[in-house]
Amino acid sequence: MDTAFKGEHLLPGHLGQFFTILAFGSALFAAISYYFAATNPTDTSWKRLGRIGTITNMFSVIGIGTCLYYVILNHLFEYNYASEHSSRALPIHFIISSFWDGQEGSFWLWNFWQGVISCVLVRKAKSWEAPVLTVIALSQAVLATMLIGVDIFGARIGSSPFILLREAIDLKSAPIFIGNPEAYHHYLAYIKDGNGMNPLLENYWMVIHPPTLFLGFASMVVPFAYAIAGLWQKRYKEWVSAALPYALFAMMILGTGIIMGAFWAYESLSFGGFWAWDPVENASIIPWLILVGAVHVMIVYKNTGHSYITTTILVLASFVLVLYASFLTRSGILGDTSVHAFTDAGLFWHLVADVVIFLVIAVVLLVIRWKELPKTTKDEETYSREFWMFVGAIFLCLSCFHLVVVSSIPVWNAIFGTKLAPPTDPVKHYNIVQASFAVVVTLLTGFTQFLKYKKTDSVKFFISTLVYLVIAVLITIPVIYFTGAIKLQFVFIMIMVGAIYSILANGKVLIDALKGKFKLAGSAVAHIGFGLIMVGALISAGTSEIISVNNTGEQFTEEFVRAKNNPRENLLMYKNTPIKMGKYTVTYVGDSVSAPDHFFKVDYKVVDASGKVTEHFILKPNAQANPKMGLIASPDTKHYLFSDLYTHITWSNNISVDDASAADGHTEADDDKKYEAPIPYEVKVGDTLHFREGYAILTSLGKVDKVQDIALTDKDVAIGAKLKVVSHDKTYEVEPVYMIRSNNAFDFARKVDDAGVKFRFSQVLPKKGKVEITVFQQPESAKKWIVMRAIQFPDINFLWSGTIIMVIGILLSIFRRNKELKVN
Amino acid sequence: MKKTSIFGLVVIAIAIAVIISVYSNSSTYGSFKDAQNTTSELHVVGHLNKSKQLIYDATKDANYFSFYMKDNKGQECKVVFIGSKPQDFERSEQIVLTGQMKGSEFHANHILMKCPSKYKNDQVDITEAKSKQASI
Repeated sequence: MDTAFKGEHLLPGHLGQFFTILAFGSALFAAISYYFAATNPTDTSWKRLGRIGTITNMFSVIGIGTCLYYVILNHLFEYNYASEHSSRALPIHFIISSFWDGQEGSFWLWNFWQGVISCVLVRKAKSWEAPVLTVIALSQAVLATMLIGVDIFGARIGSSPFILLREAIDLKSAPIFIGNPEAYHHYLAYIKDGNGMNPLLENYWMVIHPPTLFLGFASMVVPFAYAIAGLWQKRYKEWVSAALPYALFAMMILGTGIIMGAFWAYESLSFGGFWAWDPVENASIIPWLILVGAVHVMIVYKNTGHSYITTTILVLASFVLVLYASFLTRSGILGDTSVHAFTDAGLFWHLVADVVIFLVIAVVLLVIRWKELPKTTKDEETYSREFWMFVGAIFLCLSCFHLVVVSSIPVWNAIFGTKLAPPTDPVKHYNIVQASFAVVVTLLTGFTQFLKYKKTDSVKFFISTLVYLVIAVLITIPVIYFTGAIKLQFVFIMIMVGAIYSILANGKVLIDALKGKFKLAGSAVAHIGFGLIMVGALISAGTSEIISVNNTGEQFTEEFVRAKNNPRENLLMYKNTPIKMGKYTVTYVGDSVSAPDHFFKVDYKVVDASGKVTEHFILKPNAQANPKMGLIASPDTKHYLFSDLYTHITWSNNISVDDASAADGHTEADDDKKYEAPIPYEVKVGDTLHFREGYAILTSLGKVDKVQDIALTDKDVAIGAKLKVVSHDKTYEVEPVYMIRSNNAFDFARKVDDAGVKFRFSQVLPKKGKVEITVFQQPESAKKWIVMRAIQFPDINFLWSGTIIMVIGILLSIFRRNKELKVN
Repeated sequence: MKKTSIFGLVVIAIAIAVIISVYSNSSTYGSFKDAQNTTSELHVVGHLNKSKQLIYDATKDANYFSFYMKDNKGQECKVVFIGSKPQDFERSEQIVLTGQMKGSEFHANHILMKCPSKYKNDQVDITEAKSKQASI
């Protein structure tokens, strides 16, 4: 029996737990009912049951979501999920995204989208409903097991989002509860707040990127289900056309999701780029590449009847790879090869089983039906579109194969007991190998446009291909020359040729399409978008330049000199000390703090030869001193049409994680130690005092009536020295005070923190008619400074605009294929 | 021979080339001792020796960071990283270095660190609650 714990709200958890079981049960019920509906087409009652199961499943998945939402929104930190992923301070839109911050939430998201897709298919699939939904409901049931979190035969199945904090963690043995059952009984009184989200994820992209990505993953099941249904029901030829719009949809959404991730990384993470070939990024692009290949051979098959087996295998493989990718990223096997913090939530073998179930179904069905599959005995024509589309699809698969081989290195190690490590310079390795495939693929997306299905006149084909190729090369030369891409390796320049060629060739198709053959527009637009993505990625990644190069020749330690030719990408900037960086004059001018964010104001100026400021802007890169996660930086970027200037803080002495260590309670003597040896000046009104960062003028001396909170009596004498302090074009007024009380002299120093100086009115020298002002300067090292990294990314807008164009292109294709489906 | 068969052979050849290139590009995990015996780069896994000093003084050199790490076999070595100090370095519980030995120092060109993440269950914030309790 549960001991009653004070303040716990158990109802939403019980309800949510009930829904997780119901979701699993109803999905399984739907799968079984649809299975019998597919095998007994005459008995419609099975189908009805299947529908009931599907709807119930959707209802219970929404139920899980609502309960989890309730828990998070009401800050019920007795639930582990709320405690781990949210906090009271989170604004509402981040509370939404804290929902899918954890494994369970993202599984739910997947489950939700797959449920929505099932409901759409119930309406749309018609004669395909029973077999297709059998497969999807099965997938839905398997996914639902991930959320169940019940113990069966001593093993925990899945990981429930409704686990209580005290169940997830051994609270009882926490120091404050040992031997104090009463306190443990009131444990909630000690849990004041949740962990909150990783500040890096507190970004509006976190709100939109995961739902998009998971919609993409979820929709990958549809073409797979159609392929299985086609094999199962022996409707070998029909499934391809029916599945094509869904495959295009999955390709569009997943592609968008991936690029959103890239954009997010570029905008707000500080790794300095849009793509880092991290295994987690690879895991999302692996199934996408296969799907793109699959879509192309589907179209080949639809138009010519060729490549049926390739089509089937690729469609089946694309979904199995989604599951494999989810195993890679969620099982914790990537361990120390990925920066993404995925740890094993105890789902390792569960995830393996997920992959194996669907792999086995696909393989067994394929083997059983192998002999009956439609095969073409006729060899494809060399000068035919279908042959080269097929070649292109295979090259996409090879590119994917490479990604799988490298990202799975920890898996190979686990299977074969080897100790391989990823390449020491993975980015370079990936770039070179993937670029080689990209050259082939871009060229193919170009010249295939000049080929027709079945057979093409070879002479005509060669002429138009060569003409466009020559034009592409002619355009490439000035492009790489002016962007600086010319210094890149040959293979990258070849991509440039290929991408420009592809844009031209597809541009021609687009123009033809606008003249009347409008149905061809979709692929042309999508290919142009793809070409632009390649151009943008190539120029921005290839010619991005770190402009925060420290080539002052100063500040070199001995050890640095020994290690020659290392990149010096980080620039130290003292506050208010301008530094020349590329064409910019950069100054760290100040901070603006709105907890927990700390924005560093970095002032950029471009000054022309005559000293006129031609451009002036301030970037505010942010760093958060998060007591739980440490210092977390996110960049700020100045966007131009053709380049971006990206700035982020890598270090600073002006921000501390332990905010409690503020220098209160220090005595004056202690404070003086923070400064260099004081310099006394004997001055009269109007005199100037110089210090390193500027100067001060004694403007007047006068009696002061009040000094801080000390009440002055008639017997006290207090004189203030008004100083006008000028430092870095800024003026400050300070008034240090000299006071005599009962024959003792006191003085009250005044600081100008921005200038790093302190003034003391240390003596009155009546004989000389002067006063003594002592100037304290902060040593160079105690001044506030930042270490900053700035990178210039040229032409990245091609990448983003290319993506939008590609999405539009795929959308047009979806409309076209959908229409064809209705006509047939 | 059919054209597709020829193409199939080409594909197999490329696939083999990919595997070979990955294998030859791949590095190995090792200890500092292994690093001393080789000139090639390798990965060393270990943890930060928090009792020894971390040297990073941006005012002297914003691109020099050194610290002491113990590898998984317990051997300790001074590590030099040319770059700024990774944020949150002190909190790391596991470090993966990529680099090579230069003399008695390990020169890392890449540091990957695992911090106690909030995904870890034992990290719940009892301590914070406790300090609040004390102040009441």
